[in-house]
Amino acid sequence: MEKLNITLYRFDPEKDAEPRLQAYDIESDGPLSVLQAIRHVYHNVDGTLSFRNSDCRRGVCGICSMMINGRRQLTCMCLATDGMTVEPPPNRTIVKDLVFETD
Amino acid sequence: MSSDGIDRVIATDVLVIGGGGGGLRAAVAAHDAGARVLVLSKGIVGKSGLTQTAVTGFQVAFGYADPRDNPEVHYGDTIRGGYGLADPELARIFCDEAVAAVEDIESFGARFDRDEDGKLIQRKLDSSQTYPRSIKKGDSLGTPIMQALRREMNRRDVPRLHEMLVTKLLKDGDRVCGAIALDFQKGEIVEIRAGAIVMATGGAGELFPVHSNTPDSTGDGYALALNAGADLVDIEFLLMLGHAVLHPATVRGVLFTFQYLLTKGARPLFNSEGEPFLSNYDPEGSDNPARHIYARAVYGEVRAGRGSPHGGAFFDPGSVSHETLMDSLPSQTKYLEKFGVDMTKPIEVGAAAHYVCGGIKIDTGSQSTVPGLFAVGECSGGPHGAGRIGGNSLTEILVFGKRAGAEAAAFANEGNTGNPDRDDASSEADRVTAYLSRDRSGPRPNVIKARLQQLMNDYVGVVRNEEGLRDTIAEFERMEREELPSMSVAEENRVGNYDWVEALEVTAMIRFARAMAGAALLRTESRGAHYREDYPELDDQNWLKNVLIRHSGNGDVLDFEARDCKPSPEYTPVPAEAG
Repeated sequence: MEKLNITLYRFDPEKDAEPRLQAYDIESDGPLSVLQAIRHVYHNVDGTLSFRNSDCRRGVCGICSMMINGRRQLTCMCLATDGMTVEPPPNRTIVKDLVFETD
Repeated sequence: MSSDGIDRVIATDVLVIGGGGGGLRAAVAAHDAGARVLVLSKGIVGKSGLTQTAVTGFQVAFGYADPRDNPEVHYGDTIRGGYGLADPELARIFCDEAVAAVEDIESFGARFDRDEDGKLIQRKLDSSQTYPRSIKKGDSLGTPIMQALRREMNRRDVPRLHEMLVTKLLKDGDRVCGAIALDFQKGEIVEIRAGAIVMATGGAGELFPVHSNTPDSTGDGYALALNAGADLVDIEFLLMLGHAVLHPATVRGVLFTFQYLLTKGARPLFNSEGEPFLSNYDPEGSDNPARHIYARAVYGEVRAGRGSPHGGAFFDPGSVSHETLMDSLPSQTKYLEKFGVDMTKPIEVGAAAHYVCGGIKIDTGSQSTVPGLFAVGECSGGPHGAGRIGGNSLTEILVFGKRAGAEAAAFANEGNTGNPDRDDASSEADRVTAYLSRDRSGPRPNVIKARLQQLMNDYVGVVRNEEGLRDTIAEFERMEREELPSMSVAEENRVGNYDWVEALEVTAMIRFARAMAGAALLRTESRGAHYREDYPELDDQNWLKNVLIRHSGNGDVLDFEARDCKPSPEYTPVPAEAG
């Protein structure tokens, strides 16, 4: 059993004055990609989290790109690590949480 | 919001539902035929669907690798690969038009691998191909195709809307005339009025716990078409591949096409006792049999207690040099290594749901049995029959995408846009919106989905039998009756509410799962991708038939019909045993 603490960006522009960072404890049977970890939070810990469940698992679509510990990376292509923080890319209009407006 | 629950109304001539390769090819063709086109996808148009993830090859009979190859031989392979059930006219069209379809996509700027003489390189995937026929681009064939189609979409400025989940097709009398969709980003209910609709919604891998698809492959198109009165055909033929990586979970279901390494000296699949076994399961005794044999062979070894720890078999990438790996399968190798897989040691491989061989029954104009409703790609049915040979899917989306787009444009140009029944539109808006106000005590969509996936895996997967199918269908009926009405979404927020989307998807998934299990129950034989352990033999005396499924409107009842088909002479029926 792997235990991870991960921090995710939360912001509902309709309700919140400011974005906030929320920490989550998750347990899984084995290693997770960052996107799998986000999905794990959504399914098992907090269903109010908004994210895009777009997972080509090949690094080709680019939809899952996020800031992981401040560096822009594809969440389907990176292993989730304890203590990581995941946020949307900067200068994007946030729809809600990890969902931002597309070009 | 207006009084009927619809937030926005949009009008177009041709509505394309689905933003993968088939959808974009149809959209470009419909635009070129003079129609106003709108492309909707529940993902990002041009960045969703399975085309972009295609790896290693598609079949086009240029005859460069072997001059004996031609569209006629390709056609014969396709008919035999479909075990006599492919619609001969549809198979003929896509084999005959494949060369032109490649020339089309090349004229859009796609480039494929060529040899020193400038000829397209053609390789052989497995024994289902008489001659090497698959063309490639490294091991990322989907990329140039999607790039080219996106460019053509942009050049024509074809309108598109991202992240729109279509929940119902609207009709005017017999014909379709529009759709209701949920806009994920805005949380709005949108009505689209259209002269014709092209379904390009892809497959249904997400019905299974391990699959090679993307998680949004929930089979929406099949359920939408069924609910609109269209026939589905051949959907019991669910292609399970045996070359998916099973461990670690980060890469479970990802395909590793080691078949291409077998000609380069790689050791064939082996079981926990170190023994090769594939030839024991192939009627022709090949240790690189047609794709659907792999999953069944691995399943047999697992059941005999000779499986790998995670329910598969072993392939040893270390039996070829790392150079060969990187030369043959660079992106797959790099991807697996990124997740810590040691590519010098045996890896666990096994079954993953890959492709629904049947789907929305189409005619030669790519039109379904409902006027104005067209279909292309995995969601359509007819060209493949009981099994799809490797590399025929990309060929199909390019050929039929062009056809579906042109035909849909012609249909839309002929008639006026119909008027959707207002009660249908508003009751659908009410149905969709009602999820938000349910009490929160019921199971969330993912809980119901996980149960559905387990049932599909255990009883509607690689191996099926009557008892398991009957019990599963009864359970799906119970879930539709009891669990779906109490399913609840995590919050009432309308914007970016993925639970809301997933609730609608799961509802459609159970409908299609029930249809697939019902067709599998009816077919009391084993053929192609469908295997019944209680009827393990192919039965050409009784089962040269296509199973058609339709929702005739009597409550939730689905009607199943086994209809005789006349196989092409390329298929040789197995005679009845003497005595």
